[in-house]
Amino acid sequence: MEDIRVEKTASRGIVIAPVYCYREPDLTPETGAVSQEKVASETEKFENAKKSVVEDLAKLAEKNEVFAAHQEIAGDFMLGESVLTKIREEKKNVQQALDEAIKEIAAIFDAMEDSYMKERAADVRDVGKRFMAFLKGVRLPDFGSMEREAIVVARDLYPSDTVKMKAAYVKGILTEEGGITSHVSIMAKSMDIPTLVGVKGILEKVQDGMMVCMDAEKGTIVLEPDEAAMQDYAARKAAYEKERQELEKLRSQEPRTKTGKRIYLCANAGNVNDVRGAIQRGIDGVGLFRSEFLYMENTHFPTEEEQFLVYREAAKLVPQELTIRTLDIGGDKELPYFSFEKEENPFLGWRAIRICLEMKSMFKEQLRAILRASAFGKVRIMFPMIISLDELREAKVVLEGCKAELRAEGTVFDEEIEVGMMIETPASVLMAEEFAKEVDFFSIGTNDLTQYLLAVDRGNKKVASRYDFMNPAVLRAIRHVIDAGHRAGIKVGMCGEMAGNPQAVPVLLEMGLDEFSMSAGSIDYVRKLVLEN
Amino acid sequence: MVSRKLTVVNASGLHARPASILAQAAGKCKSNVIIQVDEKQVQVKSILNIMAAAIRCGTEIELICDGETENEDLETLARLIESGLGE
Repeated sequence: MEDIRVEKTASRGIVIAPVYCYREPDLTPETGAVSQEKVASETEKFENAKKSVVEDLAKLAEKNEVFAAHQEIAGDFMLGESVLTKIREEKKNVQQALDEAIKEIAAIFDAMEDSYMKERAADVRDVGKRFMAFLKGVRLPDFGSMEREAIVVARDLYPSDTVKMKAAYVKGILTEEGGITSHVSIMAKSMDIPTLVGVKGILEKVQDGMMVCMDAEKGTIVLEPDEAAMQDYAARKAAYEKERQELEKLRSQEPRTKTGKRIYLCANAGNVNDVRGAIQRGIDGVGLFRSEFLYMENTHFPTEEEQFLVYREAAKLVPQELTIRTLDIGGDKELPYFSFEKEENPFLGWRAIRICLEMKSMFKEQLRAILRASAFGKVRIMFPMIISLDELREAKVVLEGCKAELRAEGTVFDEEIEVGMMIETPASVLMAEEFAKEVDFFSIGTNDLTQYLLAVDRGNKKVASRYDFMNPAVLRAIRHVIDAGHRAGIKVGMCGEMAGNPQAVPVLLEMGLDEFSMSAGSIDYVRKLVLEN
Repeated sequence: MVSRKLTVVNASGLHARPASILAQAAGKCKSNVIIQVDEKQVQVKSILNIMAAAIRCGTEIELICDGETENEDLETLARLIESGLGE
């Protein structure tokens, strides 16, 4: 038995389950030359691997277009020629020949200036891994092969991994890397899976099937628990389940504080399915609809019509509001079909509203789609990353232009549609009073605001401990924004991770925040906090 | 051997998707297909070779086909490139 403890936690839940290791196998190539007689059998091994890898990828490509390009690479004759030449002329064994060929091709892409092409090096290496796994007869980690409920243990998980995860089998997640605002944390929260990140050395200590207990809220993990530990965790699990049931009973209650203030509880959503899931928790609406997912999970800029259909479906579902944030791309979010120039400081670079105000025809397609959807439910528009009144006004001029077009075409939309902005830059905090006179609502985006105010990169492990939305500077900024909004008579909400944090919620209620928008998994607990405060 | 000068119209140049469509189409051609860009010769049947050439939007290229079916192949591929390769 071994106890492990993690300092920072971001989710809740108790899990008792065996481990499923999501571990990369050893893909180091064999060394040693081959004799002339063996050349034929080595080339045959390569041809067999190619056949199998191409077939596998063809199957995957049916479900996800990303793999179509991988399939092309696997069957590519430049790769094939390179490998075969190394075997025939340099007498390398097939594994070494493949390894060198992949490295050489990946290096060509790595050396490119264009950041989009640079990333193609990763595609080439991915294909290389598939070949090598076949040649070595080992299994690449794959959630598709999970057959029973388990706690997934991994170094880190990326968006490409998490889409493949079968939520039904994944009961808990432990990763060595990542912070509480990293991709895996946010994703696990939206899927409601208890998760602990930053668990150093965990992969070394576990094997497939090892029994593990974890408490995601307290940050405790027990490997190979003894009878007493099992009983302890079983009791905690029962208590937690009971609490959850109690929380669920509160779903029908209006979220009002002890002082009688009606608080608006909303969910953050990336697609219509998220909205559907959140509705069951008795929310007022969606405080942040991340429209960028429509762009990121696509092969082209989504057309007005494509967007309209999605927004309309979501608008019909929500009880009180659907706040659509206009495209927030750039920073760490890229598009598979558009190449962004490489930037020294992407978070301080060409992103969000800055892109939209330059690519106006694309921006207009989105605004027209949102306006058209507003005829089907209470839709609100929210602009991200605003730093100046000029930007806000320019965005509003584009919006007014779209409204005029729709009127001329005789298309209906909500003439009273509310327009708000994210408060996520220090500039927007300092200018909150002026902004409040020109928008219908504020929504504080604490993930970016914290990183910009404290000058701490939220993705950088070395400074992760300094990234803290409870830092007094961040709290003071939030108070300033709420006061400025209220003086101008507008509502102030929050849509960052902080809005669902149990320590932060009482403080935010005290400051007078009107709307809390968070991952669906946090809503029940935050409702309880609202009722108690 | 036949050839034709063309301009790449894809906004992001010949990146993964258009390169994949072009390589697939070239793969079906019986003739040998090459794109000449400045000093570089690109084997069009190889997606890696196309992507590695990093051909940007607006670049002038020369499409060269050599083989029995060179005339039809040139026609098919030129039309495909001019139409933006499915984008």
